[in-house]
Amino acid sequence: MTGAAPLPLIEAVDLTRAFGGLVAVNKVSLAVHTGEIVGLIGPNGAGKTTMFNMLAGSLAPSAGTIAFEGRDVTRAPAHERARLGIARTFQITSVFPMLTTRDNIRTATYRTRGAGWLASTFRTAAWRRDEAAIDAVADEVLAFCDLAAQADIRADALSYGEQRRLEVAIALAAAPRLLLLDEPAAGLNPEEGQRLVGIIRKVRDRGVTVLLVEHHMRVVMGVCDRIVVLDHGARIAEGTPQEVAGNADVVRVYLGREQAHA
Amino acid sequence: MIRKALPFAAALVLALLPLGTQSTYLHHVMVLWMLYALLALSLNVIIGYLGELSFGHAAFFGLGAYASAILTMQTGVPVWLALIAAGLVAGLFGFVIGYVSLRIVGPQFAILTLGFGSIIYTVTNYWDDLTRGPMGINNIPPVTVPGVGPLGEARDYYFVVVACVLAFAYACHALMRSRTGRAFLAVRENAPLAASLGIDVFRTKLLGFVAATVVAGIAGGLYAHYLRVITPELMSLQYMAALIIMVVVGGRGTVVGPILGALIYVVLLEVLRAFGPLRLIVFAALLTGSVIFVPHGLVSLWRPWRRRADPAIRPEPAP
Repeated sequence: MTGAAPLPLIEAVDLTRAFGGLVAVNKVSLAVHTGEIVGLIGPNGAGKTTMFNMLAGSLAPSAGTIAFEGRDVTRAPAHERARLGIARTFQITSVFPMLTTRDNIRTATYRTRGAGWLASTFRTAAWRRDEAAIDAVADEVLAFCDLAAQADIRADALSYGEQRRLEVAIALAAAPRLLLLDEPAAGLNPEEGQRLVGIIRKVRDRGVTVLLVEHHMRVVMGVCDRIVVLDHGARIAEGTPQEVAGNADVVRVYLGREQAHA
Repeated sequence: MIRKALPFAAALVLALLPLGTQSTYLHHVMVLWMLYALLALSLNVIIGYLGELSFGHAAFFGLGAYASAILTMQTGVPVWLALIAAGLVAGLFGFVIGYVSLRIVGPQFAILTLGFGSIIYTVTNYWDDLTRGPMGINNIPPVTVPGVGPLGEARDYYFVVVACVLAFAYACHALMRSRTGRAFLAVRENAPLAASLGIDVFRTKLLGFVAATVVAGIAGGLYAHYLRVITPELMSLQYMAALIIMVVVGGRGTVVGPILGALIYVVLLEVLRAFGPLRLIVFAALLTGSVIFVPHGLVSLWRPWRRRADPAIRPEPAP
């Protein structure tokens, strides 16, 4: 990499994680630049989820460093990374089940907006302004993620596809710089999957950079600018979707297998 | 319109309740109701908003009662100052106990609070020099209101305690409309997701826990200066369980629920007085029945109320 290259939004260097004797991720380096949609793919057990969790802060690396906008966050807990502007979704659908869709999104504005308890007790002007701003954010994000009709329904009563969209909505309401998506299309039917891909594509227009861990090849190929391929905890390829699809190693470890199944 | 006026009307009725009767006995029952309501509302912050079960809450009530009683009797500080000190002492214990236990969640946390509560109860019971042990402390000075003098009648105490209850109930209501309150519910609903939104789960829990223990301590102080006699029994397991019954039967996560739960508890306690310890069986049956048939508490039976009130009250999924 040349010295003139712009500072990556997030950069992992030689990230390693061992579980006992098993090295799930072995010296993987990865950089995502502002405005990109990057996909992280690999067959089952390749270390995608381990890598994702280290970037999101829910798993501590055994070795290596992570920098966000040039600032070391290797040891920062999840909530501190979130405060810097990293939002994430979860592989297993994760919402606030007993709250309505709208309240889920309102809650997610925690990082940037909202007056504290004293302000709400005395109903100060700042509090009223903030609540109105939060309502506006909620309305905008609800529309953005096609959830306006479900606004007042409790999250646990939403359909699976709606819940997955709500996850993205929650992450977006946090106004992140970087959005980490953990298998967002998992378990979705093709139609719902396409709807989600449409939303992810629009996310970039909001100035949000996306790193996507995915198993569905169609999703990754359709939406990503650049793809990083992992196998057995190591990085085996990187490039545009076309380059990766044409890479012999990738075809061997991954695509070939998928095509064989399809 | 009606929905907006209803809370004010209810607060007004509650504030003027003792004017409806001349019976000092009923006034006494009303004071107990309000004291328990204050305590149940504080426990509701932990159970209803943070979603953690605490069996140790009566210990903080007792700490407040003892701190206030001992302070006024041994140092002669005015009662109002001692009440603040009662809140601070209980809050300090809450901070230490919360700091140690709140990293642990679920049943283990509940058992830890039970352990800490039992330790405080036992120490109070045996530290004769300070607490006079199982004999308890009597002749505690009454609450003195500046310009009015010492309060003598139950009715006067009612107005003091109801003011505390209404203020704290409003504070809880306001909390649920603030960023802090939303963080509380986020932690209850899904802690990893809350953390991913920038919420420090541990600090949020500690904040709620300490606030709840401060209020419990103040309630304990008020209790001590009202009854003017306290014994370690007010920290016993029986009270810890009673508090949980009030919150769960009334409706956790709501402001009205714990106040209603406290009313049911106090009324049953009086109505069933003749049955002695058998009353406990009734309370246990009440808790069991409530958990099975009205898991969100009695307030959940009133549908119009929960449609659009606190976000903490769980709205029904639309058909």
